[in-house]
Amino acid sequence: MVSPAIALALLPLLLTFIIRYRYYFVLFYRAVLVRVWYDCRTGLSREERAFQFILTHATPGDPDSILDTFDFWCSKVEFISNIGPKKGKILDRLLSEQCPLTVLELGAHCGYSTVRIARALPLGARLYSVEMDQRNATIAEKIIRLAGFDDDTVELIVNPSDEVIPKLRSEYGLERLDFVFMDHWKKCYRPDLQALEGSGLLGKGSMILADNVLFPGAPNFLRHVRGCGLYEWRIHRASLEYIKGIRDGMAELVYQGVK
Amino acid sequence: MDDGLLALPDPNATQPAAQQHLLKLSLVCFVLSEYNEVWRDSRGQSPSPPRFLDQSSGCVCVSAAGDLEEVLESAERHEEEERGKEKGQERRRDKKRKRKPQRTTSQPGEATSEETAESEARRGRRKRGREGGGRGREGERQEDEEEQGQRGKGAKNKKNFNNERRRKRAQGEQEGGGDAPRRQTHGRGQSDERKEETKRGGVKRPTGPAEKKKRKKEVENSSQQESSEEEEEEEGGEEEVKPETLSPEELEKLKEAVDDRKKLIHTLRGKPWSMKKKLTSLGESQKFVEKFEGALGKGKGRKLYAYKVLMNKKWMKFRRDFENFKTACIPWEMKIKEIESHFGSSVASYFIFLRWMYGINLILFGLTFGLVMVPEALMGRPYGSMPRKTVPRSEEASAMDFAILWDFGGYAQYSVLFYGFYNSQRTIGWLKFRMPLSYFLVGVGTVAYSYMVVIRTMARNANEEGGGDDNNFNFSWKVFTSWDYLIGNTETADNKFASITTSFKEAILEEQESRKDDNIHLTRFLRVLANFLVLCCLAGSGYLIYYVVRRSQKFALDGLESHSWWERNEVNMVMSLLGMFCPMLFDVISALENYHPRIALQWQLGRIFALFLGNLYTFIIALMDEINLKREEEEVVKQNMTLWEAGLLNESRPENSTAPPFSVHPADTPRGPCWETMVGQEFVRLIISDTMTTYITLLIGDFLRAVLVRFLNHCWCWDLEAGFPSYSEFDVSGNVLGLIFNQGMIWMGAFYAPCLPALNVMRLHVSMYLQCWAVMCCNAPQERVFKASRSNNFYMAMLLVILFLSTLPAIYTVVSIPPSFDCGPFSGKNRMYDVIQETLDSDFPPWFSKGFSYVSNPGLVLPFILLMVLAIYYLQSTSKTYKQANLELKKKLQTQNEENKKKNKKAALKAAMELEEARKGPRHTSRTSPPRSIHAGVGTPEHPGGLGGTWGTLKTSSKGRDKGEDHGRGQRANQGKGGQQAPSLRDSGGRVPGISPPAPRSHTHQTPGHMPGNPRQPAPRLHRVSSSQGHRE
Repeated sequence: MVSPAIALALLPLLLTFIIRYRYYFVLFYRAVLVRVWYDCRTGLSREERAFQFILTHATPGDPDSILDTFDFWCSKVEFISNIGPKKGKILDRLLSEQCPLTVLELGAHCGYSTVRIARALPLGARLYSVEMDQRNATIAEKIIRLAGFDDDTVELIVNPSDEVIPKLRSEYGLERLDFVFMDHWKKCYRPDLQALEGSGLLGKGSMILADNVLFPGAPNFLRHVRGCGLYEWRIHRASLEYIKGIRDGMAELVYQGVK
Repeated sequence: MDDGLLALPDPNATQPAAQQHLLKLSLVCFVLSEYNEVWRDSRGQSPSPPRFLDQSSGCVCVSAAGDLEEVLESAERHEEEERGKEKGQERRRDKKRKRKPQRTTSQPGEATSEETAESEARRGRRKRGREGGGRGREGERQEDEEEQGQRGKGAKNKKNFNNERRRKRAQGEQEGGGDAPRRQTHGRGQSDERKEETKRGGVKRPTGPAEKKKRKKEVENSSQQESSEEEEEEEGGEEEVKPETLSPEELEKLKEAVDDRKKLIHTLRGKPWSMKKKLTSLGESQKFVEKFEGALGKGKGRKLYAYKVLMNKKWMKFRRDFENFKTACIPWEMKIKEIESHFGSSVASYFIFLRWMYGINLILFGLTFGLVMVPEALMGRPYGSMPRKTVPRSEEASAMDFAILWDFGGYAQYSVLFYGFYNSQRTIGWLKFRMPLSYFLVGVGTVAYSYMVVIRTMARNANEEGGGDDNNFNFSWKVFTSWDYLIGNTETADNKFASITTSFKEAILEEQESRKDDNIHLTRFLRVLANFLVLCCLAGSGYLIYYVVRRSQKFALDGLESHSWWERNEVNMVMSLLGMFCPMLFDVISALENYHPRIALQWQLGRIFALFLGNLYTFIIALMDEINLKREEEEVVKQNMTLWEAGLLNESRPENSTAPPFSVHPADTPRGPCWETMVGQEFVRLIISDTMTTYITLLIGDFLRAVLVRFLNHCWCWDLEAGFPSYSEFDVSGNVLGLIFNQGMIWMGAFYAPCLPALNVMRLHVSMYLQCWAVMCCNAPQERVFKASRSNNFYMAMLLVILFLSTLPAIYTVVSIPPSFDCGPFSGKNRMYDVIQETLDSDFPPWFSKGFSYVSNPGLVLPFILLMVLAIYYLQSTSKTYKQANLELKKKLQTQNEENKKKNKKAALKAAMELEEARKGPRHTSRTSPPRSIHAGVGTPEHPGGLGGTWGTLKTSSKGRDKGEDHGRGQRANQGKGGQQAPSLRDSGGRVPGISPPAPRSHTHQTPGHMPGNPRQPAPRLHRVSSSQGHRE
């Protein structure tokens, strides 16, 4: 039997844990508990609820308004791991610097990042957005169209990324990707990157931006990037979307080609 | 180019493109052979070939000459005076072989430049824009035509056609479709050169191979300036071979050159050059000096000199080895260095501190072991001879159990390890060793020695610190001193880099905030709140410990056997746990305060210090209570003892009155509780449990965590390494404090348990290895790598405080509590320090004790103390004034610096003005005499002596142009406009202020040739150059 005094001596440890990892507890609460609670109560999926909210609160045809509403919903009502406004600014900056003509997005989820990218694209550019989940893809489609982007600008491909990438050249007639944005399953980052390398779609100067490389994190991806020597890379450090205290980062890779 | 000149049939023109590598080789050979022929011819005919060589081109020829040794040697036969040079060239050929292909392809003219174009295209290296290549080709063609026009030789025409054809083919072969490589642009530069040259030459040009040769060389010079350097070395090389052949004049020059080089090496550090240039020129100069120093002496002297140099080198090497050996002899030095390179100096400072602590403990251990434990074990009464040296009957059964021994009970308690075992016998053994006196003096000596060492170290550290405020040049300090040069690990370097940048950001923010200071109330409130929370925490932990100790006394009264292990070890467990986790809590709380990290660290250290101190003192207070309890018990035992003795006597007396009074086995005798042993035991247990907790946390918190993070990372849903658990960082402050408090406990308990220093030595030894291993194997470098030098004395100060605070209770117990009556070396005395008086009385002559009593009377002691206080005060005030004087000096230096800066600025401005004025002059001159400026631009070798203002201009102008542009263009522009290149001139002016533009030119006239890095040549040099110049014009 452990004496109560020893148990009391462990109190500081408990307190430390609670205080130090409070953001993770908050994240757990918002991303899991609240979601489960609403799922049971409304019978809708989280994405559908988000769409309903946006439909009722945002101005159709105005991407900015849609993004703002999205941010509001994600920070105040529920939690969806979009790219978020802060990291989104980095994305916007990179896009405006790069001025890509062909953009591939892996993991559209509810279309937040798709709208964000499409908004920043130059005239005549085309965005291919890949989403694996059918239900998410319908929502994403609706949101993209709601934001006013037509089929010429944004093409939504509903398929797993590892199936899409080999077909990009043959089926979609792509020659070169100027910009790739990765925000799907973190486990797929590395295989997809390798598939992209193998497909020959990356040219010198192509940029790849991978979100959430620190949290939840894609260690294999980072290791591969560090090891292969094909890229000039850096990590933009930021905090996790909608939750300040958790550190996260986006990896920016610039393809240098085989040396 | 020379094929063009010589109009020889080109075998490569008809070669198929498939055999390109063969082609290239043959081309190279061909060019080389031609080259040599040209050279030989030129030397055969022209009267003054050495001048051309002086024009820093000889090396190029030689390097191009490559394998054709025979040719060279035949040439040598022709030219007596040239002999030495050629030999040198021969010797250097091996070295040049690597560079040779480049050189041959790039230098000897068009054919090869095309060749390079092909090869370059194949290699696909840096390619320029299509236009550049096109332009380059055009330029060449143009230049060819010009040449044709000027010379009007039919054969050459043919040759040029050949060239044209080949060039076209080459262009077609380029896979990039006309991405002209750099080489070609070089070629173009040459061609531009040549255009100029031909223009110039058109005025007055003697036909003949010598002239061709000369022109060629000039072109080469212009395209590859660095060759001049090599040429110069080469020239030296010749001289090294045969110094006898040198005229004394030349020798003199050589000597001067060597001296100049030496001077350069010494002054290199202060030169305003780029690092790259410095490095290259340093290497070159060193090579040069090394080479020619030996050549300066003659005959015997030279040999002796060489021998001396050799011995000097050997001696240096030996000294270096010896240094290495010495470092290897310092314990753990290499380990610590390795850690330092991985984790920065702050972590290493912990290990150095640990080593220092180990040294001190070793000495303490030596004292107690050699003067107390060993004599008692060897010469004292053996175990079982007295009650205090025997395990009591009631404990005998379990005295050898591991659990009891682990708690330092049983046989361990009745051994030399503890106070109670020692006998109060005044002298022991045949040595008449004064055991009690020795025990007392060792106790005092350990403390005195510790004080001495700590204070001395502190004083030494204080010296290093120096006075003055360092807030003056905050950002400059950050820029120039924040790098930790001992870091050798890339990850740590990254972290250091990041920490420097963040510190910059923070410093800037601080600056801003110090001007803004908004919301100060919130910060204040938060800080107060944080301190309140910390105080609550401290109070709570103190109370918990007090509660636990009281409870353990209750348990002890009940008898330990009836309680579980947890309850028996409650005190130690609670103390260790609190000591481990409260700092973490403090750390979390301190995030509220928003302090600068360094200040935060100090607060953190202070809080942990308070916690540890509080815990320790609670523990001691509880111990005092226990001591009092034991003393009451002792009184009872004393009374019982007399009763028991009386009873024993009564029992034994009737039977035989002459028998010895006691025949009872010592184990059966009743005895007192011996509070000293109890205190010692408590401390030993505390140390043991503390050590165990440290090691276990190390193994679980660091090692296990690292293993989990490392191997679970592959199959986990988030990144364990970068994310939540990650690898632990080495907690310097916590570890240092742990060490300090551990030492404090040693100092406190060493008097009652002589084994404590030994235990501590063991602990430190093990933890040295264990922590070294743990740090290297499972810790990540700190995210905030900070330097340790500043906090070092802080640790020392803490150590001093702890020493003082830990000796206080020990002294209190020694002075105020009478020792137990039946155990320990002082049993039977009223106070422990009575042993001194006893020794004085019995061991010293009576006059000594008399004198001592005089000395120790208050009338003498008080004045003495007063005197000491006065002396301390005096020293203190003098040190203060010194400090102030230091500060004043510092300020003076600063102001002086500022003034110097102003002066320099003024001087620079003046120089710039002069330059500005002077630049208007040379513009006219350059326009009137363009060939001159060309000569200055072209024929200048790059010499590291640095006065080559023109070279500077050349370089900058060519660099200043866009990368797409090529050298030749820049050069041409420079030559065409003469001194009009404003930025370039300003550049050179900035480097060599006070030299007006004509001056560098004259220098460049002086410097070419012979000695590399010889900014100011002696007079004899002039005539050569000027003659060559005259030849040219």
